[in-house]
Amino acid sequence: MTLIMNNETVIAKTRQSRTIGRDLTGIGAILAVAVVGYFLFPDNLALLTRIIAIALLVLSLDLVTGYCGVATLGHAALFGSGAYAAGIAAAHYGITSPLLMTLAGILGGAIAGLICGVIILRAHGLPQLVLSISLIYLFHEFANKASSWTGGSDGLSGISPDPLFGTYEFDLWGQTAYIFGVFLLLSVFVLLRVLVRSPFGMLCRGIKEDPLRIMAMGASPKITLIKMYVISGAVAGVGGALNAISTQVVGLDSLSFTQSAEALVMLVLGGTGSLFGALMGTLVFMLFEDYVSAANPFHWLTMVGVLLIAVVLFAPKGLYGTAAGFIARRLEKRT
Amino acid sequence: MKRAIIAAFAAIILGSGAYADTIKIGVVGPFSGPFALQGKNFKAGIDAYMAMHGTTVGDDTVKIIYRDLPAADPAQSKALAQELVVKEKVQYLAGFYFTPDAMAVTPILKQADVPLIVMNAATSAIVTKSPLVVRTSFTTWQTSTPIAKVAHDAGVAKVISIVSDYGPGIDAENAFKAGFEKEGGAVVEAIRMPLSTNDFSPIMQRIKDSGAQGVFAFLPSGPTTLGFVKAYNENGLKAAGIKFFAPGDLTQESDLPALGDAALGIQTTFHYAVSHDSPENKAFVEAASKAIGNPAELSFPSVGAFDGMNVIYKMIEATGGEQDAQKAVDAVKGLSWISPRGPVSIDPESRHITQNIYLREVTKADDGSYYNKEIQTFEKQGDPGLAAIK
Amino acid sequence: MQTVFSIAIDAFAYGMVLFVISIGLSVTMGLMRVVNLAHGAFAMIGGYIASYAAQHLGLGYAVAVLLAVVGTVIIAIPIERLLYRRIYGAPELTQVLMTIGITFCIIGIANYVFGPTLKTIPLPPALQGSADLGFRSIAVHRLFAIVCGLAVAGGLWYAIEKTAFGVKLRASVDNASMAAALGVRTEIIYAISFAVAVGLAAFGGVLGAELLPVEPYYALRYMVTFLVVVSVGGAGSIPGALLACLVLGGIDTTGRYLMPEFGEFFFYLAVIAIICVFPRGLAGRAR
Repeated sequence: MTLIMNNETVIAKTRQSRTIGRDLTGIGAILAVAVVGYFLFPDNLALLTRIIAIALLVLSLDLVTGYCGVATLGHAALFGSGAYAAGIAAAHYGITSPLLMTLAGILGGAIAGLICGVIILRAHGLPQLVLSISLIYLFHEFANKASSWTGGSDGLSGISPDPLFGTYEFDLWGQTAYIFGVFLLLSVFVLLRVLVRSPFGMLCRGIKEDPLRIMAMGASPKITLIKMYVISGAVAGVGGALNAISTQVVGLDSLSFTQSAEALVMLVLGGTGSLFGALMGTLVFMLFEDYVSAANPFHWLTMVGVLLIAVVLFAPKGLYGTAAGFIARRLEKRT
Repeated sequence: MKRAIIAAFAAIILGSGAYADTIKIGVVGPFSGPFALQGKNFKAGIDAYMAMHGTTVGDDTVKIIYRDLPAADPAQSKALAQELVVKEKVQYLAGFYFTPDAMAVTPILKQADVPLIVMNAATSAIVTKSPLVVRTSFTTWQTSTPIAKVAHDAGVAKVISIVSDYGPGIDAENAFKAGFEKEGGAVVEAIRMPLSTNDFSPIMQRIKDSGAQGVFAFLPSGPTTLGFVKAYNENGLKAAGIKFFAPGDLTQESDLPALGDAALGIQTTFHYAVSHDSPENKAFVEAASKAIGNPAELSFPSVGAFDGMNVIYKMIEATGGEQDAQKAVDAVKGLSWISPRGPVSIDPESRHITQNIYLREVTKADDGSYYNKEIQTFEKQGDPGLAAIK
Repeated sequence: MQTVFSIAIDAFAYGMVLFVISIGLSVTMGLMRVVNLAHGAFAMIGGYIASYAAQHLGLGYAVAVLLAVVGTVIIAIPIERLLYRRIYGAPELTQVLMTIGITFCIIGIANYVFGPTLKTIPLPPALQGSADLGFRSIAVHRLFAIVCGLAVAGGLWYAIEKTAFGVKLRASVDNASMAAALGVRTEIIYAISFAVAVGLAAFGGVLGAELLPVEPYYALRYMVTFLVVVSVGGAGSIPGALLACLVLGGIDTTGRYLMPEFGEFFFYLAVIAIICVFPRGLAGRAR
């Protein structure tokens, strides 16, 4: 309805209400997908919880790649640090409350974000990509070496989170983990919607478009981006913690180049620079992968490759970006 | 005949076992990705068993459900196991190539009331994580300990140990060191190199400089093994008479054509060689070759899977198709049979397989192909690794 | 002293092998501005063709190498026309997505056609065995790789800096529309450069097969190594790539000799240090 209004004086108000409307639609959409998922695949909640954890990683990647223009193939460093922080807190320090474990994950992710941010932001373009790759390998190797803390290549086991609020257990059927995950995803999503629209979020977008002008305005692009990296780390840390809590084990793969590359692929698939794109990319990629790998466990990689090529050819802005553009054009035609 | 009639009557009277069920077995393994060959071997072993022993146990039909787990990824492993149990309602979980993947599944076994039959993952500790785990493969400790005696018997007193820096590599290093020092030898240096090492020339230089008479090595099978063995030859270590000792992972049959002459004479200890001379193995190799398509791709995970299926069939028999994980596991404790690899049994206490370990040497056959020729047998080896972690 | 020499020779040999395999990527990334993650996939195709030619058709090594280069280029031409042409000038991330997709497809097909086992390319007797350098021995094929690497470096440098084609190529890279206005057919220039890059990839894949054996996951396993070497050198610069290969090869080899336990740390810390000091790579050109 709001789209038809074109009175000059209400434009500002309209825009505001439109964005809030979009927020509500977004939350509604996530909830709807979550509920549909729950009832449609009640036996597959473990997979759905995993998708949520990865979605948090991809959201966090979107913050630095989509909103700040930082190219990174090492973002799993933040995710894995969060997972190990939560896991080590539980396995070595007996902090088994899921909420405290999440907090540990946020902290671990944020610290890793700070380290990565400071280093990665020293270069641009291709060298930046290579810096991020070097970092993820260093993190991976470090976790492998510190095997008395991390379990090395055997994985960190012995994580047994308490029941949530003392009543809901993280059990085989995974309902608790799933609902906990949906709750985490929703809270993060709402906070991020506020963040990307805040002056700080706008500043980041400005830096992506034209760092020189931002500098002329008196802001420091570097400090701003590092802050964003820390926030991104916290978000990835939530995902990592969720992964550690729901699967009760943390492996070296959570700190791997493969995990990072997959996250980037999901983000670009969905469309960078939009939280919905990140969510959509994760959902489509993970479900597609799950479906084809179950249908043909022996040769599914080719299908995934074909999907990626098709997206570049037919939906160059990513699935969400292209779909949103298409809908916007349709609406424009109608008015 | 009489027994069959009684059994049939008993089945009718008891009722519960009389209706035919489908019993599902969830198999998780690397069916794609860099380790796809090992997953293919799982499938070949399982197919071979079912081709030889039928797809039914009693009245129940056995159905295998495969799930792909390309690399070590415990979180994904657990998600897959959960899905198999909750959605597919499998009564048995089996497979698992990597240790962390198997470890991740152990906490849910009790709640799911499902036994786990490990068909490969070779770290000793897995069986201690849950009483519902049975392993039909081997452990790195089990295969690496006898080679220490071989090295000592060959008159080698000083050995340098070179392993890849990850769980199994460290296990191998410890196992060899323990075994070799017990024999009275000395490990002069123990080097752990990163998994991603491509160029082994500097390592070979280290070996030369160490003054050791022999080298003990453990690397994951595949491209790195090839590079290592080639570097060993090209840098003149073989010519210098430095002896090469390793567990059989290094000379698995599917890598031998690529290794070629470079591998000739390398001695390894392992639980299974495709060339093992027994009627059981002949039948197995024939069936498994048919299942895998290309016989050159057949190697050790297939026999772990084959014996795993044997254990599962015994479990189904013992429980009459009912879901009772503890009863199923109890039924195979102490079970012994003749496997394609030789006589084996399930140790009642550790639930790990007791088996012969063979010393083999890479040899060229008359038709120009390469094989592991068994030259010595270490009978009834348990898992020394379990004692070591206690 | 002997040890130092020994390490230096190993480092040099390793660096040159790295150079031969990754120089093609430097051409695509630096001159054509495409983040070509499928580079390893083309090297792998070359390796497979050479292996097939030598093992199953019984052809000689030289013929197999030639066949590998030509065959890979022929396979790459339709891929360039249909897929790569769409991503010239596209954002880096789009290029990453596309080339990873291509890599996955090639891996899947290779796995299906050739199976998951390792493939070797038998060396001719002249390249087998080891040569005695007095204080140590070194594999002859390594010496061969060093010679080939130097030849490739010299040839490329000459082609880019001294020939008319090189002038046109550099013009198209710096300002495509201006070059086109001056009558340079940029499309053809790009196609030829791409073919050269792919041919070099295949050549490197065959030559390096002794060190990096050919198997379906080759394309992913070494992707990062190639990418790192090229960026540290500065994409598009032949001397830069050469220098990077020697420096990284040296650090890697020394690290593996002195402290093998921490080999990985040395390598990546060095990469981070170099890029922090030279954010465009050792010989990177300002954009």
